[in-house]
Amino acid sequence: MIIRKIQIENYLCYYGISTFELSEGLNIILGENGEGKTKFFEAIDWLFNGENSQLDKLVSAKKLEETELGDSFRVSVTMIVEQYGLKNIITKSFQAKKDKSNECSASIFHVEGIEENSLGERNQVDGIQLLDRIFPFQIRKYSMFKGEAELNIFNNEYALLNLINLFSDAKHYDKYTEKGAYLRKNAEKAVEDSSKMDKKNELLYKNLEREIILLEENKSKCNDVLNEIEAEIKAIEINLQDAENHVNNADALDILNKRIKELENKISYLNGRIDENYTTHLFDENWILVDFEDVHKIYTEKISFFSKKRREMQTEFDKQIGVKEGEKKAIQELLNKSIPLPIGTPSKAHMEEMLNDEICKVCNREAKKGSDAYEYMVERLNVYLQSQIANDIKTEDNKPLFQYNYLNRLENYSMSHEDNLKNIRILRSKINELFEFNANRKQDIEILKAQLELEQSERSKILGDSSKSEEGLKSTLSSYNTWQNNLRTQNEKSIKLNSSLKNFETEIKLKRAEKDKIDLNSANSFFVRTRNILRDIETIFSDTKEKKFDEFIEKLQIKSNNFFKKINIDAFTGSIIFKRSIKGNNTIVDVNLHEEGRVFYRPNQSLLTSMHISILFAISELASEIKEENFPMIFDAPTSSFGESKTAQFLNLVYETKNQKILLLKDFIQRDESKVLFIKKEFEMIKRDKAFWVKLERPFDVNNLKTINSQVITI
Amino acid sequence: MAKKDEILKSFLTHELLESKYELDKDSLPKTVRDALNSDITIIRTLALIIEGLDGSSPVTDSVLRNQVTQYLNEAI
Repeated sequence: MIIRKIQIENYLCYYGISTFELSEGLNIILGENGEGKTKFFEAIDWLFNGENSQLDKLVSAKKLEETELGDSFRVSVTMIVEQYGLKNIITKSFQAKKDKSNECSASIFHVEGIEENSLGERNQVDGIQLLDRIFPFQIRKYSMFKGEAELNIFNNEYALLNLINLFSDAKHYDKYTEKGAYLRKNAEKAVEDSSKMDKKNELLYKNLEREIILLEENKSKCNDVLNEIEAEIKAIEINLQDAENHVNNADALDILNKRIKELENKISYLNGRIDENYTTHLFDENWILVDFEDVHKIYTEKISFFSKKRREMQTEFDKQIGVKEGEKKAIQELLNKSIPLPIGTPSKAHMEEMLNDEICKVCNREAKKGSDAYEYMVERLNVYLQSQIANDIKTEDNKPLFQYNYLNRLENYSMSHEDNLKNIRILRSKINELFEFNANRKQDIEILKAQLELEQSERSKILGDSSKSEEGLKSTLSSYNTWQNNLRTQNEKSIKLNSSLKNFETEIKLKRAEKDKIDLNSANSFFVRTRNILRDIETIFSDTKEKKFDEFIEKLQIKSNNFFKKINIDAFTGSIIFKRSIKGNNTIVDVNLHEEGRVFYRPNQSLLTSMHISILFAISELASEIKEENFPMIFDAPTSSFGESKTAQFLNLVYETKNQKILLLKDFIQRDESKVLFIKKEFEMIKRDKAFWVKLERPFDVNNLKTINSQVITI
Repeated sequence: MAKKDEILKSFLTHELLESKYELDKDSLPKTVRDALNSDITIIRTLALIIEGLDGSSPVTDSVLRNQVTQYLNEAI
């Protein structure tokens, strides 16, 4: 069966007639939220399942607005279907009459069916019957899915049983197991009645029956407790698995906290080792003298120069002193032969006056220039003056050339500095070493800080990703250990109960064998043989039913996992497991994800969606095989949790599947800088048979439904 | 193949027929019609039940029981 066309008329946001000409394979309908995608889905859902109530709420507000008061218009959804090469048309419609400016009343709806025969002749038929015939209700139930949540058709434990009844041979065998049990029970009763006829066995027989009943009761109780324990084990396993993420987080957090502490300590230690008190070093450690040697060299050269110069000067001075000493001695020798006048009589001034006046005022005689007297006075003056020079020399004799010997001190300094030079010479390397050390430590700190930042960001990530706080994580870690202990205890109980069950079964078997022995001896052999055959027949019936059931489950499991692996390519490595079990008198099927041999209880939404879609595709494929017909599947936003890349992968997989699929997606649509919607280039790469874009006609007023009309654009 | 024949075929593959009744799988009937003429008690009983449940005119429980018991009474 293929839906060839969907026509929507004046239905909610679809004003006028909107047509979707669909293809046989994959049909993709793109649309931004609120632009008509889901209304398309709802229109089909209304056609299939809609009730005859509140129809006035389904009309296009835009159509209602432009309709004159008192006038009517048609609201309809039409599906044109092809089945076995013949065309069928199903239309659901009603009339809306405008009563007030914004209100209308609606007629009841009609479902019209038009059937086309091989000659192309059309016959009007009952639309609902036609729909149920071409697209049975039970199949429609597994054909339309709105959102990711609806994909989980196994939300109740009998859902899969319904499916099996729909698609599996197992349903044919139900009546056989039922009749087999009925026949066997009657045969058992006939044997028992016959055995009881033999009075000597009556008491023994009754006792055996009582014991068997008692054992059956105990076995049933044991089974109930075992079921409870297994339910508890499952609950603990769920808790443990749930906690495992947190436990891993708690462990990781613990390790990270330790590493962070260690890094902080290292950074603090290295910071402490960095010595940047350079001012102190400049003076206390004499760093200021780092270039002192050159200064010292100039200094010593100068000292040496001045020392030499001083000695030369001193020698010359001493020499002069010696000469003057000699002269002085000579003068003194000369003076020793005459007696000079007392000093001051006449004085130098008087002598010069007398020479000037050319008169000797000592003896009051004229002493003209050139006269002996005059010459005598000149000679006396000179002698006097010479005597005065001798006195001067004597005065200077006591004064040393260098009153203070600074050079000596400077030389001492020089020698002292010379001794310290070896300390000064290593200053440069000391400074370099300290600078290098500090730089290296700073580099180390930078590296450690980068590591610290990484660890801190990892820590924030863990705390951010985790739904639990740091304290909560610690508490989970503690609960985790308790649950593990509980799990161990419950598993031990389960082993014991299973063993008890086996014991009960063995005992029941023994008692029945004992009873059978009595039957063999006491009952009519015909009854016994009949019973034995009917027992075997019952076994054949129930085993065959189980086998058929298991075959279907296995087939579904294989098909589901084929799809699942394709959807989750390069991702999750586990698989979908269907497990049959007995609950009360019913067979139920659990569907779970298994990874590394254990149930994966808390898969993320994307994984769950993949699982559900895989099973649905498998069911669809099985339905095609069993019913020898394909049925369409319609999904509204089935892959919200996938992300665009996985959605693209998923669509390419869907394209490869056989039956018709209609997918409504909000992916691959973007807005440009002017907020105008456009379809992304990536969509060109998506394999599909047909694609549409539903978008609201622009401009429109978001607050006014009367301006809303969804356009259908074939891409 | 008719549904009832398919059902018979699935019952006849049960290992009990080989292990307990020592029947050769290749010599087993392929149709309910053939099985109703079989000399092997369990095969014919099975066929009677299938015919009673999936045959052209399904029978009630008591009728089925009578048919089976009556046949077994004659056969064993």
